[in-house]
Amino acid sequence: MSRMLLTGNYAAGKVLALAGEANRGARGCASGAYPITPQTEIIEVLSDTQFTKGRIVPVESEHSAMGVCIGAALAGARAFTASSSNGLAYMTENVFCAGYYRLPIVLIAVNRTLGPPWNIWVDQGDSLTLRDAPWLQFYSDSHQDLVDTILMAFRVAEDHRILLPSIVAMDGFIISHMQMPVEIPDQSQVDRFLPLCDMPHRLRAESPSTIGGLTWPNETEKQRRDIQSAMERVPAVLREAADSFESVFGRRPDEAVVPFDTEGAETVLIASGTMAQTLRGVIRERRKLGEKIGMLRIKMFRPFPRREVLAAIGGAKRIGVIDRNHSPGSGGIFWQEVAATLQPKHEALVQNYIMGIGGGDVRPAALNGVIDDLTRRSSATDPIWKEVAA
Amino acid sequence: MTEITILGRGGQGGVTLAKLIATAFFKSGKFTQAFGVYAAERSGAPLQAFVRISDEQITNYNQISEPDHVIVLDRALLGPLTLDGMKSGGWIVLNTPESADALVEISAGRRVATVGATRLALQHGLGTKTVPIVNTTMFGAVARVLGLTLDDVRTALGEAKLTGANLESATTAFEQVRMLELRPAPEPILNTDEPAIVATNGAILGREQVELQASETPRIRTGSWATRRPERRELTPPCNVACPAGNDVHAFLRAMHEENFDGALSILLRTSPFPGVCGRVCPAPCMQNCNRRFLDGEVNVRELERFAAEHGTRPSAPDAPSRDEIVAVIGSGPAGLSAAYQLAKLGYPVTLFEAGRELGGLLRTGIPPYRLPREVLDNEISYILAHGVCDSRGHRIDASSLRRLSQEYAAVVVASGLQLEQTMELRTDGADVVLNGLEFLNRTRSRALELDGAKVVVVGGGNTAIDAARSALRAGATTVHILYRRTRNKMPAISEEVDAAIEEGVVLDELVAPMQLRSDALGPLLTCVRMRLGEPDESGRRRPIPETTEDAYFDVRCDRVVLALGQSADSSILNGSQPPGNIALTGFGGCPIFSCGDFANNEGTVSAAIGSGRMTASRVHHALTGSDLLSPASPTIASYDILHPALFPRMREHHGGVVPPALRRRNFREVHLGFEGEAGIRQVVEEAGRCCSCGVCNGCDRCAMHCPENIMGSQACGHSYDPVYCKGCGVCVTECPRGVLEMVAIEKE
Repeated sequence: MSRMLLTGNYAAGKVLALAGEANRGARGCASGAYPITPQTEIIEVLSDTQFTKGRIVPVESEHSAMGVCIGAALAGARAFTASSSNGLAYMTENVFCAGYYRLPIVLIAVNRTLGPPWNIWVDQGDSLTLRDAPWLQFYSDSHQDLVDTILMAFRVAEDHRILLPSIVAMDGFIISHMQMPVEIPDQSQVDRFLPLCDMPHRLRAESPSTIGGLTWPNETEKQRRDIQSAMERVPAVLREAADSFESVFGRRPDEAVVPFDTEGAETVLIASGTMAQTLRGVIRERRKLGEKIGMLRIKMFRPFPRREVLAAIGGAKRIGVIDRNHSPGSGGIFWQEVAATLQPKHEALVQNYIMGIGGGDVRPAALNGVIDDLTRRSSATDPIWKEVAA
Repeated sequence: MTEITILGRGGQGGVTLAKLIATAFFKSGKFTQAFGVYAAERSGAPLQAFVRISDEQITNYNQISEPDHVIVLDRALLGPLTLDGMKSGGWIVLNTPESADALVEISAGRRVATVGATRLALQHGLGTKTVPIVNTTMFGAVARVLGLTLDDVRTALGEAKLTGANLESATTAFEQVRMLELRPAPEPILNTDEPAIVATNGAILGREQVELQASETPRIRTGSWATRRPERRELTPPCNVACPAGNDVHAFLRAMHEENFDGALSILLRTSPFPGVCGRVCPAPCMQNCNRRFLDGEVNVRELERFAAEHGTRPSAPDAPSRDEIVAVIGSGPAGLSAAYQLAKLGYPVTLFEAGRELGGLLRTGIPPYRLPREVLDNEISYILAHGVCDSRGHRIDASSLRRLSQEYAAVVVASGLQLEQTMELRTDGADVVLNGLEFLNRTRSRALELDGAKVVVVGGGNTAIDAARSALRAGATTVHILYRRTRNKMPAISEEVDAAIEEGVVLDELVAPMQLRSDALGPLLTCVRMRLGEPDESGRRRPIPETTEDAYFDVRCDRVVLALGQSADSSILNGSQPPGNIALTGFGGCPIFSCGDFANNEGTVSAAIGSGRMTASRVHHALTGSDLLSPASPTIASYDILHPALFPRMREHHGGVVPPALRRRNFREVHLGFEGEAGIRQVVEEAGRCCSCGVCNGCDRCAMHCPENIMGSQACGHSYDPVYCKGCGVCVTECPRGVLEMVAIEKE
């Protein structure tokens, strides 16, 4: 383990390389690589890496990048790639394909606003567009969390109880291009934490078979229900992985939800990504002033951790969900999930705030404004768009 | 927590500077955070980067709005809004050669440190002269100000693998930085008219944003950052360079497009008295070199010139010669007439000597009326004579009369053309079968030769051969063959004329040469030989060589053989000395004698003769008055590759009417009708509008419309722009369809 100053992209690239190398004793690793701002440096780091058994394959599009990953994973390799924004949109057909093939691929999504209008800054709308794909989704809030989550994602995705691919998202530029201290594990530690990738349904030349052929409706329905069952097993598998992570790396990684000061809180804010980090400082200050206020960071979005959210919210009276994403005609996407989780069982007021769309700079003052609004509120209204700095 | 904002420009390395500062503090055990604000990464665009330094884990992921310190990489970026929110007591570290004392107006309530980082970076060879990279140098200064040591500087640069010159420059800056301690002041005194730094949003979607776009672009001063600037080039369109007469084709087309036919004609008449002639018979090198030919066909300059001659009003000629020196011009072909015209315009009385009965030389005797109607020629000659040119016809000037003229005149111009026709011996047995080309043209034109039912063979590949062949048809010949010893694409004749002859029924026999003419009981027989092309000769063309096979020889039955093999100058007028180009000889009493036109250079086209006449007039004027010569300029040609073809809409070519072959091949009426009527005017304006104005600004103002800084003036003022705001982005150059502007490097001192 060494502590280094790295940007999020470099950290992600280094950890992907460590994970890929860790499978050298089995079928190796592979990545279909295609650049797009702001994730390009990840591909650059990977391309600079010498693998004992592995290849980075430059391709002509994101669609093909995922295609390479699908092929590699079907052959039993540990497969991973990265993309952003319209690149993810273009990749989408094969993203679904990878999930329904039950291939444990890890995809780093460096969140960037979908165009047009052209915009390079953070907005979770790109990876959340894939929320209905059979993929796990994690939203990291810091450099260290990003590194830890990538390792956890491989571990959970490749677990035979799960066998589903996983998206690890980070805020474009804010994490991807920001340089901060981060602990990067040694290869030997990663080797210990990640078992060799063993894809039970990988294609074998000695026993030829096909995958993904035509099925009847009842067979298809069974496949979908199997996926749902696998999704439901994720929280338990994630916890096991966290235990193992702690024993190897000596510290516990963040899990599906991360409560902060929720003890006895009447008002709870819910956020994700780096906004949750900045919010944490704001909550800390207001707690010092005696306010009964706490927050919950949702790290795992798929499967949506309903039980964990309900448990963390406790008896809070007011819930404010802050979304850096927007589903036109509805509202914030995390809000939809939280509201669906709470409504039948919970009396709390749930208010949605949409802010930082298109990469707006979410400063503590703006978050204080949200809290001021929420604490004065006696009933919820339609999602509120909160202006932030340009 | 300490928060630092860095103000720089894209390409200066501001983000790297943030990382260097963070690294130095990270190495001393602090928590740090370094990041930039990424946007359109245009070189020179204002850019911000931030550093946070703390003893605890940093949880803020937002940008810094209330910095403790501000580092400015470009002095021009410093303004009140850039310091807005800065905490009092902090440092402003500024890249400027000025001393910190000179910056008292911004130092109110803050501390100021300055260092001439640009100069230091240049001295250490960091970046280039146009783009010095100042970040590592500034790092040295910042490190000193923030209490770091030179060891810290070395370590952080080493981590980033920035050693050598970077370390040296940083060390110098560390030592040289000038620090001005805090000056208390009640209120900061700031220049409040400073423009704001505002990122412009290039997106246009929805009404609100369209309106936003329509508003004034915020102006940001460039400071020392721009590396390139646009500059207007000095280019000449290829048509102007190609015209042997020296016509300003480009200006002519522009006037035509503006429907200013009088103005257009005046432009032509500056250099040529023969727009009506050239508008019909010129091979038009301007069109052959027109860049538009690579897009959708060359601009039809020839027929536009004809239209101007027919529809423009000629300016009235000067009343009387203004000078005393009388000039003699020998020969009234296009060169002599052009020289006489230009001399008359310069104020000289001119006497024009013509051996024949009519003026015009080859224009009259060599070009058949179906290409050049006599009244067109007569009109233009009358206009020349109206300038004060006297003509003396029926006088053939020989060597002795030339000597006499040199006593009577101030200067003499010899433009007697090519009087000797080349011929070849076909060993004819005396029958009146063989004629020379010019004689044949004379006789057919004056109807002195009837060819009803005759088979005619024309030998040659020049314009005279084509004219003779087409005249033969009009004189009644049933079959006309042109024998040419090379191939069609090597023929000197105007290509369109060859096409027209073939349309009319002339047969072109390529790679054939005549050998011998004889007669049998049925009449004359011309024995010919097939040729092939061998190695190139001294003219660069492949030399024709007779085939040696048995079937290479064949007989052609013919009634007439016309030899159109070219002409040469008769230099006996100069006592046999070779016509010496345009260089003056000296006659009696120092009278300068000039040779001119085909007699001097054998260029063989009307436009070359016109140009030669004009240049000769200039030489005469120079010899008599010491005035400046018209200098043959060596301009830079605006070639096709400087144009941006995508910016020119494709436009159909326009052509005037043509009499169909069946209706024209038996008479001498004009074949080409030109643009006619109201529709003709519209076509003319459109055709002139197809001119790309290669390399010459025509005021389209695309550069001004597309300038992101909105600083390009309208082109009426010659691409002036305010360099204070020009970032050197090059959009104006990219958007100019015609290559008027280019980017040039700005070298820093």
